[in-house]
Amino acid sequence: MKKRYLFMLLAVVAMIISACSDSTGSTADDGDEKGGKKTLVFGRGADSIQLDPSKVTDGESIYVTNQIYDTLVRYEEENTEVKAALATDWDVSDDGLVWTFQLRDDVKFHDGTDFAADDVVFNFERWTTSAEFVYYGYMFGASEEDMGGIIEKVEATGDYEVQITLSEPNAPFLQTLAMPPFGIASPEAVEEHGDDYFKNPVGTGPFIFKEWVADDSITVTKNEDYFGEVAKVDEVIFRVIPDNGARFMELQAGTIDLMTGLNPQDISTAEGDDALQIIRRPSMNVAYMAMNTDKEGPLSDKRVRQAINMAVNKEELIALYEGIGKEAKNPIPPSLWGYNDDIEAYPFDVEKAKALLAEAGYADGFDITLNTFSNPRPYMPQPKVTAQAIAEMLKAVNINVEIIESDWDTHLTLTENGEHDMAFLGWTGDNGDPDNFMYVLLDKDNATVGSAGNIAFYKSDKLHDLLKAAQVEMDQDKRTELYLEAQEVIHEDAPWLPIAHTTPPLAASSSIADYIPHPTGSEPFNLLDMKE
Amino acid sequence: MSLQPISTPDIQTQETKQAKSKSLWIEALFRLLKSKTSVIGLIIITILIITAILAPIIATHDPTTQSIPNRYQAPSGEHWLGTDELGRDIFSRIVYGTQISIRIGLIAVGISMVIGVTLGAIAGYFGRWVDQIIMRIIDIMMAFPSILLAIALVAVLGPSLTNAMIAVGIVGVPQFARIVRSAVLSVKETEFIEAARAIGGKHGRILFRHVLPNSMAPIIVQATLGIGTAILDAAGLSFLGLGAQPPTPEWGAMLSDGRAAIQNAPWVVAFPGVAIFLFVLGFNLFGDGLRDALDPKLKQ
Repeated sequence: MKKRYLFMLLAVVAMIISACSDSTGSTADDGDEKGGKKTLVFGRGADSIQLDPSKVTDGESIYVTNQIYDTLVRYEEENTEVKAALATDWDVSDDGLVWTFQLRDDVKFHDGTDFAADDVVFNFERWTTSAEFVYYGYMFGASEEDMGGIIEKVEATGDYEVQITLSEPNAPFLQTLAMPPFGIASPEAVEEHGDDYFKNPVGTGPFIFKEWVADDSITVTKNEDYFGEVAKVDEVIFRVIPDNGARFMELQAGTIDLMTGLNPQDISTAEGDDALQIIRRPSMNVAYMAMNTDKEGPLSDKRVRQAINMAVNKEELIALYEGIGKEAKNPIPPSLWGYNDDIEAYPFDVEKAKALLAEAGYADGFDITLNTFSNPRPYMPQPKVTAQAIAEMLKAVNINVEIIESDWDTHLTLTENGEHDMAFLGWTGDNGDPDNFMYVLLDKDNATVGSAGNIAFYKSDKLHDLLKAAQVEMDQDKRTELYLEAQEVIHEDAPWLPIAHTTPPLAASSSIADYIPHPTGSEPFNLLDMKE
Repeated sequence: MSLQPISTPDIQTQETKQAKSKSLWIEALFRLLKSKTSVIGLIIITILIITAILAPIIATHDPTTQSIPNRYQAPSGEHWLGTDELGRDIFSRIVYGTQISIRIGLIAVGISMVIGVTLGAIAGYFGRWVDQIIMRIIDIMMAFPSILLAIALVAVLGPSLTNAMIAVGIVGVPQFARIVRSAVLSVKETEFIEAARAIGGKHGRILFRHVLPNSMAPIIVQATLGIGTAILDAAGLSFLGLGAQPPTPEWGAMLSDGRAAIQNAPWVVAFPGVAIFLFVLGFNLFGDGLRDALDPKLKQ
């Protein structure tokens, strides 16, 4: 009997202890804890894939690496003008080939080591020897044979001076270096963790990596010694809540403070709630349906792709964006310089589409698949519904569409490998340069099966020549001319059905202040504050 | 479960056997109709079957025709249950969905029944190592939560309505196998089976002509209850995007596609939810009533 009482007592004690630890856990989520500790809980739809920015292209990973790393130069808070970061000053030789950067001498990595010119050289060497750095290839034309691309050499010309020599001039070079994937990592940590570095990231940024619970949360804490503006919140927790509706309900309940991926249907609800606010991210993206021109069959015929463009009623399609999207006709958004507004979108004309199909020998139509993804993206809030709408519209011209829905990871793998007929995808601009859209998404250099950014596998020499010329041209007016012409070529060949440009909404608790969403899709949270 | 009282001695003539078993089934029917809940179940099922058959007549609109400008319309005279995210008529989609749900229920349970009954009967009848092997495999299947096993199967087969039916069917096999095995175990020991064996009846004949017909009652009950579970599992798979593919008006898929608007247009998810609920409730009530009616212990 006595033993049994002892056991019960133990059980009760255990329960009390666990109840206590539970309650401390939940107050940590509530934003303000005793002692004024501010915790920002950020809700999003999917987990990061890796926290090594040089290994990823997805927005969810970059959301977090943006907090941990700094780049040599960075963007202004509200646009993609470049300003100083780890580099304080820079200049370029007259031939546009040699860039010299003066670096800060007061920066420490999170692991305590000092930042100096050698570290920049180390990072560039790491990037040019890593086949996994997809962005490097996209931006600098690197390939498996030539992993350095246009970057010929990087050398430390002083303790805090770095010189980068290019093999050809590159107009967007400085813009590109400000992209989050080019964040400078601590050489010591990279060597120490080796293959596990992606889950032990060490940079110089405003937040220090603390913990990653896969598919659940990532926690970063304030870097008190940050050389820029020290963060106002003490901790940021990135929580994964896959369902948009569920995430919004958590925001309404106050268990998260800020969320992306708001269902557009919920905007009015949030606007009518005093405890919430809607924050709109400036638009710099495009959603599109790529048509795989590389596959044998109807899509390799330009007339069929044009017909598909004419068979889709974009005005109705855009209604599915519930007010957050505008119809697209070009691969770059209208907010970007070089946008060709003279291009006339393909008209919605079923008869003309039928005639074109008949001309191409497909009067009776054909069967085709359309790959879509299950979780909403900023440029496409309702991928499955949008796919159904397009399938139904194409039925009118006898094209029978089978929809294949996969999760985000699988979808990216499938499309990079070119296993699709037609596929949805979108792009949020990284550096405010048209090159970052057109060269990455439509140039033949990036149509390599396995790592394709150009998932239409569209290979046009004419376009390639224009885009390459625009890369080496340093005069912006001349570059604009080249991009205007490039858009005409793309319009004529119709490798895409451009769908929309969106202004992605974020929903936040009304306590969030000074949050400035960046057009590139993510930003460091050091300026953000939480009011009482 | 002992079914001795309804088992008919083999030595009787064919006519008396039939007369007696008929009266037995009729007796069960009377008992069934006396129970209010099972009558409610029966009415729901009847309505659903009629709806499925007359779907093209009952439906007010084409179930897949979109009208994007008319999306998220509240229930009205034109659209009785409102419209969904693509402006399709929810009432018509639910009506056509009845056909799909009944098909899922029948095919999935059919698969479970054929495989489950065969395995259970063989295990129960032959016993020993045959029984051991079959039942251990069944135990392994039962160790998985059913929906998880179904998801794994669909992941292998590929997402489609047909594959979802196959997956749900396979998931239901263990219940049938276990019920049939225990029924067979008790029937097998009865005197008339011994008699059949004594006059030189072959295993197959004894099993299919004598043992199984006398184990019918629990199989029927399980089949009725199984339809409810099957439609629920299949709706779950469709909700996860692993079952019916768009634009098929499957109820689970309708729930899933409509949930973005749950706070603004609740009818988009409410009505398919009610449809699933009624369907499952109907079969469960009827199945429960059937079990009571066929249970000889409650005879009086």
